[in-house]
Amino acid sequence: MAKLNGGIGRRKMLKGAGIAAGAVLGSTVGAPTIWAQNNKNIVLRQFGTGVSAINEIAEKAKKDLGFTIQMTALDSDACVQRAVTQPNSYDIADIEYWMIKKIWPAKVLQPFDVKKLTYFDKIVPIFTTGKLKPDSVIAQGTAPSKVGFVDKPDSTAFASGQTGWFTMVPTIYNADTLGIRPDLVGREISQWKDILDPKFKGKTSILNIPSIGIMDAAMICESAGVMKYGDKGNMTKAEIDKTIAFLIETKKSGQFRAFWKTFDESVNLMTSGEVVIQSMWSPAVAAVRSKGVACKYQPLKEGYRSWGDGLAIAKHLSGSQLSAAYDYINWYLSGWCGGFLNRQGYYSAVLDTAKANMSEDEWGFWMEGKPAKGDIKSPQGAVMEKAGAVRDGGSFYERMGAVSCWNAVMDEDRYMVQKWNSFIAA
Amino acid sequence: MMTRTSRWTTYFQVTPLALVFLIFLVIPIATIVVVSFFDYTTTSIIPAFLSQNYEELLLSPVTWQTYLQTVEFALITWVLTFLIGFTLAYFLAFHVRSATWQQVLFLVCTIPFWTSNVIRMISWIPFLGRNGLANMTLMKMGLIQQPLEFLLYSNFSVVLVYVHLYTLFMVVPIFNSMMRIDRSLLEASLDAGATSWQTLTNVILPLCKPGIAIGSIFVVTIVMGDFVTVRMMSGGLSASVALMMANAMSLLQYPAAAANAVVLLIVVLLIVAGMMRVVDIRKEL
Amino acid sequence: MKHGKRGPAFWFLAAFFTLFVLFLYGPTLTILVLSFQGPEGTLTFPMRGLSLHWFFNLFQTQLVGDIAGALKRSLVLGVVVMIVTMIVSFSAGLAFRNRFRGSTILFYLAIASLIVPSILISLGIGLLFRVLEIDPAWYSSAFGAHLTWTLPFGLLIMLAVFNRFDRRYEEAARDLGATPWQTIRHVVIPIVLPSLIGVGLFGFTLSYDEFARSLYTSGTFNTLPLEIYGMTTNITTPVLYALGTVTTAVSFLVIAIALISFSIIRRRRERHGSDAGKAA
Repeated sequence: MAKLNGGIGRRKMLKGAGIAAGAVLGSTVGAPTIWAQNNKNIVLRQFGTGVSAINEIAEKAKKDLGFTIQMTALDSDACVQRAVTQPNSYDIADIEYWMIKKIWPAKVLQPFDVKKLTYFDKIVPIFTTGKLKPDSVIAQGTAPSKVGFVDKPDSTAFASGQTGWFTMVPTIYNADTLGIRPDLVGREISQWKDILDPKFKGKTSILNIPSIGIMDAAMICESAGVMKYGDKGNMTKAEIDKTIAFLIETKKSGQFRAFWKTFDESVNLMTSGEVVIQSMWSPAVAAVRSKGVACKYQPLKEGYRSWGDGLAIAKHLSGSQLSAAYDYINWYLSGWCGGFLNRQGYYSAVLDTAKANMSEDEWGFWMEGKPAKGDIKSPQGAVMEKAGAVRDGGSFYERMGAVSCWNAVMDEDRYMVQKWNSFIAA
Repeated sequence: MMTRTSRWTTYFQVTPLALVFLIFLVIPIATIVVVSFFDYTTTSIIPAFLSQNYEELLLSPVTWQTYLQTVEFALITWVLTFLIGFTLAYFLAFHVRSATWQQVLFLVCTIPFWTSNVIRMISWIPFLGRNGLANMTLMKMGLIQQPLEFLLYSNFSVVLVYVHLYTLFMVVPIFNSMMRIDRSLLEASLDAGATSWQTLTNVILPLCKPGIAIGSIFVVTIVMGDFVTVRMMSGGLSASVALMMANAMSLLQYPAAAANAVVLLIVVLLIVAGMMRVVDIRKEL
Repeated sequence: MKHGKRGPAFWFLAAFFTLFVLFLYGPTLTILVLSFQGPEGTLTFPMRGLSLHWFFNLFQTQLVGDIAGALKRSLVLGVVVMIVTMIVSFSAGLAFRNRFRGSTILFYLAIASLIVPSILISLGIGLLFRVLEIDPAWYSSAFGAHLTWTLPFGLLIMLAVFNRFDRRYEEAARDLGATPWQTIRHVVIPIVLPSLIGVGLFGFTLSYDEFARSLYTSGTFNTLPLEIYGMTTNITTPVLYALGTVTTAVSFLVIAIALISFSIIRRRRERHGSDAGKAA
């Protein structure tokens, strides 16, 4: 249980516009006075992947909201494990959409009441209707809209359309592709199958997280013409068998240098030159570049594999802790975080508020695909891109509009995971 | 004996130990055995009595390959740590003459043991990598043209780290055995006309058997149960039984991991039982 | 072999020994060097700059992770495991001097506890807690898991000590009218104290550096080895090496302190003319 002991804290003086905005949020939640008095003693325990369990966000939240967010970073599989097996050990789960498909039926989370979410209407429609633009097609795999809603708070099945109960509030998401070392690949990279080029023998890597890795594998298999899937995001046993057999064959031929599990490992593989082409996440590419090593997030003909991350709340939360969780999540979408995350190459769930927290040049570079006018800096102040640079893959709508599939949990998940394990062990 | 201290005192004295082993060894192992028959879904385990977990495990060729790979790791590591460990112990016990020097050199060998294994493991990575110190040096010396790729993320690097981390487990018990050998036996052997080499193989080696057995048991059981080294030094490319278990665990397939654990336990106990025939640990104390 | 000039065998073995020491310390030296890189340093060679940047960075808030908390937990756990190991193995050592029912089983349980791979014990305790629906924590389940590793060592050492223990000291004390507790307090403990301290230090080290047994038993909060392992997958800067350098330095410091206090105890005993230590 989080710490709620201690006396009533002194009324905190509100300083600055950011905090005033926070107070507005507080009142929309409907508990303004309690919010201001008790929150100093509230601790919310949050776990997530290294992607977003960032201490700077916790520090800023402490400053703006007054309460403490304890962050724990785990790898993706450990996140699912923690969420399901130790439901009392956390208050907020920072998880991916494919994870919630696994975790939700375990009844350890409670849905959000959309009425209490200040920015619900401004959330990018990928997470609500599923369609980026009204004419978009929902991509294959565990698309966020397919697992975003439930009919009733205690329902274990996901709702087919939008309801008032939101399983998870999206925070960040992105469109993933292959990362390359342009200085070392020595050829044009344009398709997923290029990772299989014998020239890169022993210099490639893919990630060892079954629900994500299988989708990268599917993109590669389809691109190489090894097979055609009915639905990549929901393979049949035969399709899984064939995909895994192909992966094992590729592994045995020595094509892979290593497999990675956390995005920092991919950074290390790339900076040290162990690998020249691999599956990568966007901020990892940014991290490699900030170390002065050339790295490109190569857009590919077949499109992107996408993922989404969000915050979910534990079932045991109630009372002032629950309203603190709502405060925190409303704060998360209120702009500062959005700007912070966008500047690392992610996309934020609410675009307008993030825009207000970024300079025009930053917004143009990261979101609109425009050439940078000045140097583009990371949130920590390191130069990431020189003036004139253009983001790989272009604008937000170009990149998110070219999503071919989402990370997926399939009907045959147990079978797939077993097979995946045999690929790793082979 | 019982007249000196009352029977109850004895039981009282030994109860804490017995309780710890009961709660944290016997019952947990029993739990593994029970859970290995359970059914499971993506997020939950369901009490049942199924042999499915064992069938899935034992009928998969990957399982057999992995066991073979693990035993291979254990065997290679055992041979190397034995050869190196025995040589080092022999040097310390018979060639270093002053007791002070013996202690100092012994300490030199044990100090790295006090640093975190994980840290000692990762410190090999900048050394062995494609652009690592080893490759850079060899290339500068003109011995190789291309970086040697097998140095890192390979079975080579896994075994290298095993030898690095666990040779000490061989040195200590063998050294202890050697220190207990009556030196007059060696003189007798030499006086009887045996060469140093003959003395080594016919006198010292047999007398060191208990130490060798104890060291071997440690090295083999540690390697058989390891997954961190394999995971980190093979870059995730190689597998060991424990890594398979850890993967299954991280994906919430507890009963599958438990079934694998039971099989691993049986294999390890059989190997150790074989080694125990060489040594009576109670007599060695 | 023992007398006379040193032959080629000696020099060959000495060279072998030196090579082994190099092998042992080499990698540690690599990370020692790399930890002194400048702010733009990476995890691999070549060196980028030269500074103490990463050592200062180590004590600032990291992007992810909580080193200080993990260190604190590991130290507390190590000390408690140390104390419990000393008491329990001393007490069991006393008991094992007498024949009692179940002593053979208990002895082989201790051996089993040593040879069952750590990850199995970790898995078993983790599963047990899960089945019982108790949340594992570093101070409960991980504590027990560590004891299954330190106690067998403690027990074996105490058995060896008591095998060489001269019981006539106790008889003398009893003849002089000492109660059983007084005998233990004033006769037995002083004699076995150096070994007991050894057991304690050993217990602390084993617990402090235990990884596999903590893995599924430590619950929400990580112990230091788990945190370091987590960092290896979440850190891309030489701060990891700075951590390695600092932990190595701390280990050296602990060893130095232990050695110095041992020699002080020994010297004090010699000065007081006590013969207690010599019997052990």
